[in-house]
Amino acid sequence: MKVSLAVHGGLAAAIHLRRPPLVVDTAALSGNETRELAELVAAAKDSPPGAEERRQGAARDAMSYTITVEDGGTSAILHQSDTRMSPEFTSLLGWLQQHSPDAAN
Amino acid sequence: MAKNRRLGCITPPHLLAKLLESSDEEVRRAAMSTLLDTSRLRGERAVRASVMRTAAPAQGRRTIFDCQNGTILAAAVLARSEDGDASADPSVNQAFDGFGTTRQFYLDVLNRNSIDDQGMRLQGYVHRGVRYNNAFWDGLEMVFGDGDGIVFTDFTRSLDVIAHELTHGVTDFTSGFGYHNQSGALNESLSDAMGSIVKQWSLGQTAEDADWLIGAEVFTPEIGADALRSMKAPGGAYDNELLGKDPQPAHMDQFVVLPDTDEGDNGGVHINSGIPNKAFYLTAIGIGGYAWEAPGHIWYESLRASSATTVFQEFADTTYAKAAELYGAHSAEQQAVQAAWRDVGITLSQVPAADQSTCEPSAPTDGSSMEALTRQIAVLSTQIETLTSDIQALAGRAGG
Repeated sequence: MKVSLAVHGGLAAAIHLRRPPLVVDTAALSGNETRELAELVAAAKDSPPGAEERRQGAARDAMSYTITVEDGGTSAILHQSDTRMSPEFTSLLGWLQQHSPDAAN
Repeated sequence: MAKNRRLGCITPPHLLAKLLESSDEEVRRAAMSTLLDTSRLRGERAVRASVMRTAAPAQGRRTIFDCQNGTILAAAVLARSEDGDASADPSVNQAFDGFGTTRQFYLDVLNRNSIDDQGMRLQGYVHRGVRYNNAFWDGLEMVFGDGDGIVFTDFTRSLDVIAHELTHGVTDFTSGFGYHNQSGALNESLSDAMGSIVKQWSLGQTAEDADWLIGAEVFTPEIGADALRSMKAPGGAYDNELLGKDPQPAHMDQFVVLPDTDEGDNGGVHINSGIPNKAFYLTAIGIGGYAWEAPGHIWYESLRASSATTVFQEFADTTYAKAAELYGAHSAEQQAVQAAWRDVGITLSQVPAADQSTCEPSAPTDGSSMEALTRQIAVLSTQIETLTSDIQALAGRAGG
């Protein structure tokens, strides 16, 4: 399974625009890490974005995230943002960022 | 009435919100305390919304919450309020102080009472998430990350970033610039312009002395970047292997066409803002002195006169018209505005062709001076007539 994370927008949107997505390949992970990632992916897939936290005006400079999961010839795309994110997506995002060699994402 | 009393938490939020309108200050204070406590305990974001809306005439009172590395703002805890003591946490105090400086700038320089011009409360959330590389305006309040410590550091360290985000709120309450394509780039540019001049105002810097950088403090020293953006030199804020080269254009010839999607930065709102950013910088340098004076007033009045769909050409034309209204037709200020837009590749619509080639502000001829004076007198006469009519109408109502 390959899981990629692309970050969009934010104050540093110009930087994110040019950076390639972060990719985590389970081939390079331990068995425990692979199971952990699979569980987080499954939970995030089943969790729609949370209710919009803001209610007046609109978010500016908030970031959004596209997580693409490729597994056994199928792919799934999850997309959520700073102001509308499920706890499960938050957990997956945090895990991917922690396990990335690329700290700028 | 006892001080520091709390209204029972069983009181429904809508009733507490109503109590915020009470003429009794103690009742208002107790309702506010209860609302904030209830909000924190129950994590009800809706309660905070009612606080923000109902308690608007608050002279921009500040409240900072600590997310404690969580991402759910409703779970954040109160860290500092307007009348509270300074925190032991520098991020809390930096956000608090940045809010105060920005609030004071808008009041003293632009005669604006907080974000909505009606004293809207300023609320901020620090330590959002883990290694969160951003700060944003969520439509109601401001949120700061700590940075990852490798590329970015604590976003509360940058006054211009704080003023940038709060100005997004001001824009929402004025032009309502959209967040797509050119109007979105204007939205970003106005936030950069106000962010920069808030910093210049706080430092007492002239346009010539200012660095015109946005977010110089948010990068770690090791990263080798000047800032997120440079208004003086769009495209020159950074250039290294990790970040790449700053892609901002400084001229319409280099306008970057991007899709109006998240992936395309909503049509390049953080990219093409370099063009109006440069125009503001050139205007400030052309006029000279303090950028928060004539340039700041011209841009602010143009923001107020714009709409959600205004594009670069319309905004440029508006700044030219506002410069004439504020400082006179053919004034040095108006000519600096014209020259600035021309230098970024935008030809103003209302300027006679003969004047389009004028490079530097120059003293008007006797004829044009008389013409400008005549126009100003005509405008003033109209305003006096309107005022006289209003006074007569009021006197009639009072007499009746």
